[in-house]
Amino acid sequence: MADTITQAKWDKLAPRFDGMAAKGAEKRWKPFKEALFDHMDGKILFLALGTGLDIPSFPKGKDITAIDISPKMIEQARDRVAAYEGTLHAEVMDVHDMPYAAGSFDQIYTSCTFCSVPDPVKGLKALHRVLKPGGRLFMFEHTGSRHYPFRQMMDFMTLLTAKIGPDMNRNTVDNVRAAGFEITEVNNIFLDIVKTIKAAKAV
Amino acid sequence: MDHRIFYAVGDFVANLLIGLVAGTVAWAIVSPAWNMWVAMFAMMALGMVLGLVLYVPVGIKLGAMEAMIPAMYTGMWAGMVVGMMSAMMEMPMHHAMEMGAACGIAEIIFIWIANTILRGVTRQPEAG
Repeated sequence: MADTITQAKWDKLAPRFDGMAAKGAEKRWKPFKEALFDHMDGKILFLALGTGLDIPSFPKGKDITAIDISPKMIEQARDRVAAYEGTLHAEVMDVHDMPYAAGSFDQIYTSCTFCSVPDPVKGLKALHRVLKPGGRLFMFEHTGSRHYPFRQMMDFMTLLTAKIGPDMNRNTVDNVRAAGFEITEVNNIFLDIVKTIKAAKAV
Repeated sequence: MDHRIFYAVGDFVANLLIGLVAGTVAWAIVSPAWNMWVAMFAMMALGMVLGLVLYVPVGIKLGAMEAMIPAMYTGMWAGMVVGMMSAMMEMPMHHAMEMGAACGIAEIIFIWIANTILRGVTRQPEAG
């Protein structure tokens, strides 16, 4: 059963999400996201499509299944999904309740997702299940920091943001490891807060 | 520092201006009648909130975390320093503005140094 509280939160944000997130952040992060998405190969699951802001950064001609918990977000993404030059199916789905068979995907991608999944380790375990043995997980995420004074600032900001949007202080690298993945690379893009994470499922 | 000139200059100017505004607001609120410690902590909190508010228009051009985190620290430091100084002595507004702007410049330079240390690839990370 879908998490209706999370769904309602993102449905509410959907109509103005592009204005909030698109202009500055997407432009600044675009080269890093494109470099990450350049690894796309085989059957791909993209988690938390949102309004489809990441779609223009996808390489052409890929086979991508994209999910999001919010029907309103998927609705906003419709034009970007249609414009993609490849196979892109967008579906409303809770990561905790994916109906896919174990080992369905060669690769999984996330983009600013695990700041918002209510139970991140459970969500990552669900991704681990649907990934093929030897398959790879690629993440672009913002996380908490391990360092003073940034750690304290991210904790404080989470008090302000958790109710309306993302948590700012998640230990996503630890969570990926706790879900059973092997971390292969972490690339800090801004401080140790904005980063790409590459991980693999053991063969 | 972001190697793209637009973001390097943008981050610098944004923090200079946020510091200037936070310093001016702290100067307008605090007088020598205030207890220095109260002024310092109150303006630190107000400056941080002001930094968050000023981040909103700045973020449209300069991004999310890369703009929000320095903005909040700049507001905090500029509010704290100017609030403390205003509680200790009478000073003209332009001094408060200069002091706030200097806090903004110092803050973004600190962020650039921290970023230079922390950014980059690690193969076996501890946590984060």
